[in-house]
Amino acid sequence: MNYPRDTLECGHSLAELSAYLDTGQIADPAHLDSCPECQAGLASLRKLSALGSELLSSDVADAGSGSDDWMQSILDNLRLELRPGRSIPLQSVHPDDTLWETEGSISALIRSVVDAHPGTAAGKCRLHGDVTTPGTLITVEVEIAVVYGHSMEERADQLREELARTLATHTELAIEAINITVTDVLEEQP
Amino acid sequence: MTEPLEAAEPSASTPPTGVAEELLDVVQSVPGVSAVYPAQPLWQSIAGAALSAVTGEPLPLIGLTDTAGTLAVKARIGVSTPRPAPAVAREVADAIRRHLLPRAAAVEVSVVKVGS
Amino acid sequence: MTGSPAAQHQLDLVPDALLAGRAADGDTAAFEALARRHGPLMRATARRLTGSLADADDVVQETLVQAWKQLDSLRDPAAVKGWLLRIVGSRSIDYLRKRRNHADLDDAENHVDQHTRPRPEDPEGNALSSSRVEALKAALAALPEEQRRCWVLKEFNDQSYEEIALTLNISPDSVRGRLARARITLARRMEEWR
Ligand SMILES: [Zn+2]
Repeated sequence: MNYPRDTLECGHSLAELSAYLDTGQIADPAHLDSCPECQAGLASLRKLSALGSELLSSDVADAGSGSDDWMQSILDNLRLELRPGRSIPLQSVHPDDTLWETEGSISALIRSVVDAHPGTAAGKCRLHGDVTTPGTLITVEVEIAVVYGHSMEERADQLREELARTLATHTELAIEAINITVTDVLEEQP
Repeated sequence: MTEPLEAAEPSASTPPTGVAEELLDVVQSVPGVSAVYPAQPLWQSIAGAALSAVTGEPLPLIGLTDTAGTLAVKARIGVSTPRPAPAVAREVADAIRRHLLPRAAAVEVSVVKVGS
Repeated sequence: MTGSPAAQHQLDLVPDALLAGRAADGDTAAFEALARRHGPLMRATARRLTGSLADADDVVQETLVQAWKQLDSLRDPAAVKGWLLRIVGSRSIDYLRKRRNHADLDDAENHVDQHTRPRPEDPEGNALSSSRVEALKAALAALPEEQRRCWVLKEFNDQSYEEIALTLNISPDSVRGRLARARITLARRMEEWR
């Protein structure tokens, strides 16, 4: 046995070395470089940590892929409820009718327009302004990711036009501006 | 539910059974309606959802409440169409209102999904 | 409710932060892509922490339910993986407490390492390494419960002492001590084994 006690002959303890591995902090760092016992202790802990990574890889492999049936059945059990967000009033013909569009339905619509463009994917999207009062000027903020190599400005201009058209068709919002921010550039997949 | 003491006609105090099913057909046959969601969102009716899991009966898709002779109708729909979603919502409300004539109705339609 | 297959495939390529932002906006497809991406690590962690295959899947499911409800409270969407794993950690600990209270019999069929053995498809060169992993599993199983939890949360999920302390409801100093004891015992076992 290499370590009959937790305290090494140089006075340091394996517990100190364990904390040093996680935090990089120890009372006298200079000692570590020159002390063969501490070196051996650190090497042993590092070897254990490497073996821990191997166990993790092996456990993750045993857990199966996220596209396997086990995950699908968990997802099927979730019944994720749509997030409605704010209720956006629509004009009605009859005075006793109340018509709404949910904010969630509009952000999903915006995402579907962005996703339908080859090489782009939507991120967060926000409707700024009081959408619950008809006629209020609304600013749309959309974050997008673009596949590397596509002209971003051209793409943003096309998208802005298409979003304006879609929102004019499917909402009664008074859109003042559509701001598109490219937050990620994606590597093309082979 | 207690019946209103001064109900004008006995027939107006309780929604006749089957009206919700009829209205579901009416809503689904409006062009552009792609889905009808439970009138009460799931998270607002945990007890209802649990009950329906036990009895195997689906949650009601069209919400009906009778208040002093006026029928309040609630529908949550998905719209998938090149035609404007607001126009589809108006047509749904109009179709419900005409189906219920001569009965007075207050119709609430929410579009909760637009696009495929 | 999810997008087209093409769009769903596209979602598998985009970074966590973007998916988390969309999911917080209510995009179920983005949330499912996150669940698929991190599901195996969540399941592996829950299995090591609970020691039970069935409990682990319940933990993953409950974690996803909680995550969907609380996603908009996540300040840094890029940190979604660590956030999911912290929920897995707390939920797993809850399961262990529940199980202890109910004093359930240990269902051997359901036990994590019951069916795992060196995989036959391992090439020759990996045989030694995989038997060392098996030895580590045995050494880990022999550790006191509290030490094993600290070790798994650190080595599997790279949590800080403070995060582990919150999950286990003990002090960061206790975490440092238990983790050190776990490592010393495991390192000794592995030295003996070699
Ligand atoms: Zn030393």
